[in-house]
Amino acid sequence: MPNFTRAKVLMYGFVSLWSLFVMLPLLWMVLASFKTKRELFMDPLGLPGSWTFDAYERAWGVGMGRFMVNSVIVTGASVAVITVVSGMAAYVLARSDSRWLRLVYLLIVAGFAVPVQAVLVPLYQMISGAGMLNSMAAIVLPYAAYGIPFTTVLFYAFFLDFPKELEEAARLDGCSRIRTLFRVILPLSGPAVASSAIFQSVFIWNEFVLALLMLNNPGTKTLPVGIIALGGEFTSDWPAIMAGLSIAILPILLIFVLAQKYFVRSLAGLGK
Amino acid sequence: MSGVPSGRPSPLAGQGAKVAKRPQFSARLSAFILLAPALLLCAVFIFIPAVLAIAGSFFTFGITSRAWDPAGLSNYAKAFADPIFWTALKNNMIIVLGSITFQIGIGTILAAILDRGLPRSATMFRTIIFAPMVVSAVAVALIWQVILDPNVGAMNAIIKAIGLSPPQLGWLGDPTISIWVVLMIACWQYTGFMMVLILAGLQGIPKELYEAAALDGARGLKAFRHITLPSIRNVLLVAVLITTIGGFKVFDLIYATTQGGPANATQVLGTYIYLQAFNLGNMGYADAISVVLLSIAVLLGWLQLKSSRRA
Repeated sequence: MPNFTRAKVLMYGFVSLWSLFVMLPLLWMVLASFKTKRELFMDPLGLPGSWTFDAYERAWGVGMGRFMVNSVIVTGASVAVITVVSGMAAYVLARSDSRWLRLVYLLIVAGFAVPVQAVLVPLYQMISGAGMLNSMAAIVLPYAAYGIPFTTVLFYAFFLDFPKELEEAARLDGCSRIRTLFRVILPLSGPAVASSAIFQSVFIWNEFVLALLMLNNPGTKTLPVGIIALGGEFTSDWPAIMAGLSIAILPILLIFVLAQKYFVRSLAGLGK
Repeated sequence: MSGVPSGRPSPLAGQGAKVAKRPQFSARLSAFILLAPALLLCAVFIFIPAVLAIAGSFFTFGITSRAWDPAGLSNYAKAFADPIFWTALKNNMIIVLGSITFQIGIGTILAAILDRGLPRSATMFRTIIFAPMVVSAVAVALIWQVILDPNVGAMNAIIKAIGLSPPQLGWLGDPTISIWVVLMIACWQYTGFMMVLILAGLQGIPKELYEAAALDGARGLKAFRHITLPSIRNVLLVAVLITTIGGFKVFDLIYATTQGGPANATQVLGTYIYLQAFNLGNMGYADAISVVLLSIAVLLGWLQLKSSRRA
């Protein structure tokens, strides 16, 4: 079947070409981070003469470690708030027939449509007016708010299918509604919680515009705002910039490759 | 929604109002306690700012000024007469249409190949192609900025090596091509996301459909046109909406590559709002552009809600 194999070659060729297109810039970033400035200028495509971590030391000196810790704190705190707050709201909404709560649900869903770029001016003025600029709360609370609509919808759908028997058993044992939620329902909602947590983590870890606006102090900057300063810090020291970017990107890529099944499942859920 | 809870016999029926009423009150209280944090956060950080942005668009004020001077519709008049506003809107459209064409187009082809043609190596290719999606757009922008740099970048070295001449002003410095270069970077990052979205849709198509079609002589491209595409119409619609909304919200990539330059050639609504508000201090004017963006986003969000209900 010559026709069949030719199709196979074409298909492999197309997928491989796109994979190369995706991988080469990342590969080049790592290569460039090991070169000297001179090597990079003389031969942008060549291999580094010697594999030294000099550029990494220069980049690390800017405070990459601090940025990373800040990003971990901000992402962890935001995702925790989103999960708990959305879980609580979705539980009430999924267990109610009230017309008022139907309206509340629609209101929360409507929040999904508001892009943060369209409310930059009032958000900035509110947060600076409250004296909260450069604080973690200035960024965690808005991140939490913007994560709530999507997560509430996701949990709502999950809770609708949640077996009522377990819940009723807990209620008969004297559990209050709030206790039932935290002791029975959320612990048994692993897939929904994991899926929403991964999804929100990717977005919050990479969020840029609010962080750019609210965090000017090097001590509170998150990674995306931290790395944008690399260009100013190292004028024409390209290897140091590429080293800083490698420090920022490679750990995330590693986590992604190890847990790709969950990432893909979580983000593909957006299509449903 | 039509369920009437009082219609079904309750174990407490006939035990007196006192007993029945208390649990109802505590149920209401607990419902309120559980809903309050979500509503409060959404109100303070989403709805009140949205209302304030609309209100602010009818005033003139600076970053630190307490006083808002009434401006009527003049901010909107200014926007419609401002060529940069129109450039920004046009660039958003270029990114939206370009992303739909290339990201969803290439994403569909890649997904179809992985689903039907190469199922055994699908996971490896899927991981590679999806990977840029988890990297921050700022980092992506900076990597490409260096790759496209006229002096040290790999791109010019490759172009010269194959005997062509790179653009004189640089890939991102030439106002006639810079927006297209930005579009290419966006495709690099998000095509994998579209592929995964569509792949999830493809995997829901029953295999029997293909078998039946093969018996009727429809294989390969023919099967793709008559079975695959019609079956994933809804997924494609969602993909188009996600891409469109994303195209109007684009900010990070442009801010970190060109900052809207050269000479505003890559300005989009998001970066222009930021420029007017925080670099030029025209907060009221920035709010008016924000309202344009907000209206587009709400319209698209409403379409998305409608389409997801149907699906």
